[in-house]
Amino acid sequence: MKTPELVVSAIPHIHSGNSIRKIMINIMIALAPAVLIGVYFFGMDTIRVIAIAVGSAIGWELLLQKIMGRPVAINNLTGAAGGLILAMILPPTAPWWMICIGTLIMILLGKEIYGGLGNNPFNGVLIAWVVLQMSYPDQMMYWLAPPGDFMTESPPLEVLKTEGVQAVSEYFSTGGLLMGNTTGFIGEVSSLMLLIGGAYLLIKKVIPWQIPAGFLAGIILFSGIFWLANPQEYANPFFHLLAGGAMIAAFFIATDMTSSPVTPKGMLIFGLLCGVMTVVIRQWGAWDDGAYYAVFLISVLTPLLDKIKPKVYGR
Amino acid sequence: MKSGTFPGGLCLSVQTAGVSMSFEAVPPSRQVTIPLQQHVGSPCGAAVKKGAEVKIGDILGESSGPDTAAVHATVSGKVTEVVKKFPDMHGGASPAVVIESDGQNAVGEFSMEGSDPLTLIEQAGIVDLDREPVPLHTKLVAAKEKRVNTLVVSGVDVEPHMTNRSALLAERASDVASGMEIMGGILGAKVCIGVSEDASGAVSSICAAAGSANVVTLKPKYPQSLKELLVKAVVGKEIPSSGVPEDVGVTVVSVETALAVARAVNEKKPLLERFVTVAGSAVGNPRNVLVKIGTLIQDVLEFCGVSSVSKGKVIIGGPLMGVAISSTDIPVTKETTGIYVQEKGEVTDFPSGVCVKCGLCVQVCPLGLMPFLISGFSESGSYAMAEKEDILTCNECGCCAYVCPVLIPMVQWIKLGKSEIRAQRSSE
Repeated sequence: MKTPELVVSAIPHIHSGNSIRKIMINIMIALAPAVLIGVYFFGMDTIRVIAIAVGSAIGWELLLQKIMGRPVAINNLTGAAGGLILAMILPPTAPWWMICIGTLIMILLGKEIYGGLGNNPFNGVLIAWVVLQMSYPDQMMYWLAPPGDFMTESPPLEVLKTEGVQAVSEYFSTGGLLMGNTTGFIGEVSSLMLLIGGAYLLIKKVIPWQIPAGFLAGIILFSGIFWLANPQEYANPFFHLLAGGAMIAAFFIATDMTSSPVTPKGMLIFGLLCGVMTVVIRQWGAWDDGAYYAVFLISVLTPLLDKIKPKVYGR
Repeated sequence: MKSGTFPGGLCLSVQTAGVSMSFEAVPPSRQVTIPLQQHVGSPCGAAVKKGAEVKIGDILGESSGPDTAAVHATVSGKVTEVVKKFPDMHGGASPAVVIESDGQNAVGEFSMEGSDPLTLIEQAGIVDLDREPVPLHTKLVAAKEKRVNTLVVSGVDVEPHMTNRSALLAERASDVASGMEIMGGILGAKVCIGVSEDASGAVSSICAAAGSANVVTLKPKYPQSLKELLVKAVVGKEIPSSGVPEDVGVTVVSVETALAVARAVNEKKPLLERFVTVAGSAVGNPRNVLVKIGTLIQDVLEFCGVSSVSKGKVIIGGPLMGVAISSTDIPVTKETTGIYVQEKGEVTDFPSGVCVKCGLCVQVCPLGLMPFLISGFSESGSYAMAEKEDILTCNECGCCAYVCPVLIPMVQWIKLGKSEIRAQRSSE
């Protein structure tokens, strides 16, 4: 053996192979069940919204990174995954121009303006969604009914707000809410499909269990208190869990890496607060569904929650 | 009984099939290079001159103080050179004796005398394996002064892919047990040994041989072998920040040390060889070999059938904590536990990305640190902030960088921060 040329570097010498790209691919795989049932319910409209959202997100990312003189990083698929998640929380009727405005805001205000991935204080998907919700309320609430017989063409949480608990239990069965046989945003309607995707992410350890567990526990505990006190006026906890954006927010939106806390304890509290805030907005807020606003608001607390550190060995 | 463990860390699935668990002896090289310093401390003075004839076990360098350990010839032959500076694995250099073997393997008359175990240990030149290996007699004397009440023997393999401790326990449990008893007797301390629960052969043989020593099984998780986590899992106490195990009445030694002690005290033989695991993509089936100290790494690799590692990595130790060396012309010393060889394709580049605050490093840090934070502070030169976040507690196990999705070389930054802080302290 001749004296070989050897590589020398600091430890460790092996790596898990984890990457942002792999995480994003897993997130998109996990959304597949919800996408498929979206296609089943809303047909070509689902495909149209997803194609425009993903395509325009990648396009904006490419353009903005070129303009800002940054290395082009569309290969890490954060733009694509962000576009897909945003598509999931838009109505199937969303017009193309609104989707493009949404993805521009998502990439620009949600990421690039702060210096790129990792430096953004907020979840870009949520910034985009909030802007669209505020700016185009009509387009954002123009529902398309899935096939089948319906007692109502309003989403479950709108019924709760306008017609009350009685109407909710009349109109919606648990099975219907699980399958997603209601009007609503493309990807939020079927809790079952989101749970399947969420389980995949947990098994693959793509997302920490603390955030979704805290989120769902927060919803059940907080809404449970009111339901136990007065079931005539307040909806039961499982309705809150299955209706609206609770599931997609818990597994796919609140788990955004950059805008959520870094420590296990911080993540659990973050999830709990998101769950509680969701119920607060739903019960007393002006909006029908509080899940997305809740995550947006609670992510303001992330720097504070990051101060809850693990116990250091020997201290 | 429930196995002990610790929070965080890594569960790596590692090839176990085809691992050779009995030690094959690497034939002595034609020429060996024996450094006069093979541990943290100072070199001992050369006791031989160029041209001297030596036999196996003859003294090459005598221990001349608490931070030195005696060094012995591991082959018979002629001293061809006493080099002032021979490169070591850490990038430094120490004096070394080069012996041209005569192929006779003649064994000299060991000059080890007396019956006091501590004296015999000192004469045998035993160095305890640790991240900072130190002469064992010095360690035991210090432990005795501090009146430690527990001796913890580390039977846990140092890292994933390394199997030599499990293999040693399975093969030579009675010698290990004898060494443990001798050290327990010196210290007047109770003896515990930590063994990985998945090393089935090791657990059963040491349980049979242990006698009064307490066998504690541990979950096979990395980095259980680090003394901080071993002491916590076995004794239940935490070593105070920037302290030593002796502060909580514990002293930690390795299984190899126990074996060497048994040989020194029972057979009056010095430390001449190391039990080394050779693994990695360039090796094929991992093997365990018995290597005479002074054998060049290159000769060991050739024995294991490694032909070419061009643009690859040769690591002394394991794949997570080992030291990458720049040349294979470095001898196996008393510090060597393993050799891990990566082919060009397995070498990982760490092209640092921007932290996305995913929290994976916080999850795996076994010491409860915030690796991304202290690494970031180091990177930006904010050493005071890094110190406030307990950067000095970090024991550089590498779990954080292993899981990082954007490949930040966190250990590298943390090492820099620690050395800057220490340099600042010593200049004050």
